[in-house]
Amino acid sequence: MNEQTARALDEHDASAAEHHPTMRTYVIVAAILTAVTGLEFGVIYVRRLAPILFPLLLTLSAGKFALVVMFYMHLRYDSRVLTFLFVAPLVLATVLAIAITTLTGEFLVFRR
Amino acid sequence: MADRAEPRTFYRSPPTARAGLAVPAATGLLSWLTTVDHKRIGILYGVSSLTFFLIGGIEALIIRLQLVRPHAGIVSAETFNALFTMHGTTMVFLAIMPLNSAFFNYIIPLMIGARDVAFPRLNALSFWIFLGGGLFLNASWLVGAPPDGGWFGYANLTTLQFSPGLSIDFWMLSIQILGASSIIAAINFIVTILNMRPPGMTLMRMPLFVWMSLVTQFLIVLAFPPVTVGLIFLMFDRFFGTHFFDVAAGGDLHLWQHLFWIFGHPEVYILILPAFGIVSEVLPTFSRKPLFGAQIMIYSGVLIGFFGFNVWSHHMFAAGMGPVADAAFSIATMIIAIPTGVKIFNWLATMWRGTLRPTVAFHYAAGLVALFTIGGLSGIMHSSPPVDLLQTDTYFVVAHLHYVLIGGSLFGILAGAYYWWPKMTGRLLDERLGRLQFWMMFAGFNIAFFPQHFLGVAGMPRRIYTYGAGTGWTAWSAVSTVGAFIIGLGVLLFLVNAWRSLRHGAIAAGDPWDGRTLEWRTSSPPPAHDFDEVPPVYGRDSFWIEKYGDTRGRKPTPRPAQPDPHGIHLPAPSHWPVVIALGIGLAAVGALTSLGLVLIGVAVLVVGAFAFALEHHDNPAHVSQEGRLGIDHRKLAMWVFLGSECFLFGTLIATYMAYKGRSVVGPLPHEILNIPVTTLSTFDLLMSSLLMVLALAAVQRGDRRQARLWLAGTALFGIIFLGFQAYEFTAFVHEGLTLQTNLFGSTFFTLTGFHGGHVTLGVIWLLTLLVLHLRGRVGPRDALKVEIAGLYWHFVDVVWILIFTLVYLVP
Repeated sequence: MNEQTARALDEHDASAAEHHPTMRTYVIVAAILTAVTGLEFGVIYVRRLAPILFPLLLTLSAGKFALVVMFYMHLRYDSRVLTFLFVAPLVLATVLAIAITTLTGEFLVFRR
Repeated sequence: MADRAEPRTFYRSPPTARAGLAVPAATGLLSWLTTVDHKRIGILYGVSSLTFFLIGGIEALIIRLQLVRPHAGIVSAETFNALFTMHGTTMVFLAIMPLNSAFFNYIIPLMIGARDVAFPRLNALSFWIFLGGGLFLNASWLVGAPPDGGWFGYANLTTLQFSPGLSIDFWMLSIQILGASSIIAAINFIVTILNMRPPGMTLMRMPLFVWMSLVTQFLIVLAFPPVTVGLIFLMFDRFFGTHFFDVAAGGDLHLWQHLFWIFGHPEVYILILPAFGIVSEVLPTFSRKPLFGAQIMIYSGVLIGFFGFNVWSHHMFAAGMGPVADAAFSIATMIIAIPTGVKIFNWLATMWRGTLRPTVAFHYAAGLVALFTIGGLSGIMHSSPPVDLLQTDTYFVVAHLHYVLIGGSLFGILAGAYYWWPKMTGRLLDERLGRLQFWMMFAGFNIAFFPQHFLGVAGMPRRIYTYGAGTGWTAWSAVSTVGAFIIGLGVLLFLVNAWRSLRHGAIAAGDPWDGRTLEWRTSSPPPAHDFDEVPPVYGRDSFWIEKYGDTRGRKPTPRPAQPDPHGIHLPAPSHWPVVIALGIGLAAVGALTSLGLVLIGVAVLVVGAFAFALEHHDNPAHVSQEGRLGIDHRKLAMWVFLGSECFLFGTLIATYMAYKGRSVVGPLPHEILNIPVTTLSTFDLLMSSLLMVLALAAVQRGDRRQARLWLAGTALFGIIFLGFQAYEFTAFVHEGLTLQTNLFGSTFFTLTGFHGGHVTLGVIWLLTLLVLHLRGRVGPRDALKVEIAGLYWHFVDVVWILIFTLVYLVP
């Protein structure tokens, strides 16, 4: 992080904070969340999807997660500092969770 | 902020410098119990942690007496176990961490030109919870049940089967209490540092101590949740008969080690980085040179913090993780030596050709550079798994960690104590006595701990309460004991020096060391409001540049200090932090004695929390708390908290996944989970998020009817979700699945129960806002309060999105 970047981080993008999603956006997001939840429920019963079920479900789940965080929690419209404060720990926590699952369980490839 | 009305405490004519401790006009016990002044809280941290440090030191001396010769017989094996457990726990959680907190509290607001921290009452709450946790832990001595399972509390040694009685209960409850205190304080300081800097103080212009403190706060916020989850598992195993660490039921003891060391290794940096920051202030001041490569020093500190999260398993090389994991953690551990080495060389370069003034503070700072280097070198040895296997559980490791934590952390803290003592008290410590103390500490430390390398190589295991005469360990053990007592005398000398200084010490000027940073710009001790005016910032060493110009001697165009446009606003005292801490303490005592006391404690806690939350609800001075980043302090704090929650739920979910399919008896997930019903409850929770944003929008535009409707709707949907959960839990119990049935039951109920607990808190929060709204106490100007509740609510929602997928849908 150089001086310029640091200064840029310091400066709050006030105009971004003033932009909020419209009611229409909120309702569209809710509709997508409902549809994806229905899709998640449906795909687990489709046998042909079994080989890709795990990544498929994770992708759908991540999409829903992102929609709520971006629109309902306003991270898409808010300061980048807030995005950093949430996304950095989220990524690190995900990595640690995978590590715990791998090292303690049998999730990935490292067998003792 | 322009619409702030006059707060309760308001100084129009600031008091000038005065001798004695830096306290506002109010005196007496009550004023200390209710204080929210960062300087007073810093002093409270300093005094209480020094007391705990002395207790931990006495425990260390008894340990050394027991080992002075073979079969010494000073204490029994059981007492020895308790002594090393309490010594480690005390020094880590009750001495070094809070001694650092004393500096965070007292110095950081001064260094960034602020009048207090972002949340002064929360600051007081952190302290009182910390004190309660410390007293609770040490109360174990009084009831004859001191913890005796090591400061790491390895399961299954600490499970009920192998550690019956109260001792481990004291330990695990107190660590949870202390963890809560640390997380609350860390969130407060992150917001303070990011949001309360004066104009001109960009991130890269922040003093190194502030930077290292910032990194430390992030480590605390992110590292404590995993061990908290581990402690909850252990507590559930002990109190409710779950199977997290029950090998016969499929549990994996490595899980505890991972959860502990994911916290435990960053904890090393939580202890050491503030000391690095102190040294980075002390050396430039007494070398009369800017810190060499300050930006690189900042990057190095950040990298140390980051890599600190990726090396935890080097504490587990002997646990049998396999070659791939061993190699990965070995490489990561070696890499962390790079930024650490950068710091060492930059400190040396700072002193190189400087105009050195060998004050006591300088002695300690230089001492840290020397001693930490030795500890770092033995650390690199440990990064190699084959070498580490030979050193594991020997005195070599004891030597290493003490070189890092005494030679590093404690020497840094002592440097800070001598450096900032005049600022805190308005009086100087005796330099002659201080130098004597330094040499006693330096010599005593090396006499005590260097021989432990030899003992380790000779095979002496750590944590043994005695040894045989023919082992060859007697001579070095005796030398080590002599060194420990010399350290003890050194500490005693510091107390004498402090006492003399407070009674008869020379009066200190505002800037006794010709300092470089903003804290020296105000009087010693500072007035209650810290600065009469917002200090101008000219660069990293702002005060130095203001006095002498930049490195080429060019003086900046003087900028007058800015009068605070809002006047001098100091927070009013509050007794609710003490009440909340009391509630937590009562609940903890109740957990060991009676359910009734738990309920009383929870009742006190709930009453205190509500009163705390609503204390300033109608105070117009608290309507807007927008800071440097253009973000309200409270919103910033909520996002930091949610980052911490990612780690909490990440650990809970990871444990569920790690234990998936390892139950040795049924019922199993596919036999019992009702996916259609849970899909409905998931839909319900998702729709509650829609209602929440509608409620916020209505509050923002002042539509009272809609606001009430959507707030009530959100809470109702939350209650319906809880109803689904109650139905599911009841059905499972009827089908034979409880917390105690198998690993699936333990992990499932704990994960979903914790989420349900969060939903319950959210519902209570929403209902409180609704009641306030019905009473006309929530208007458009309070929209931020609804927004923050909404952030929490949506987070609970997104966590459920993951739980729904990973627990219910993934086969």
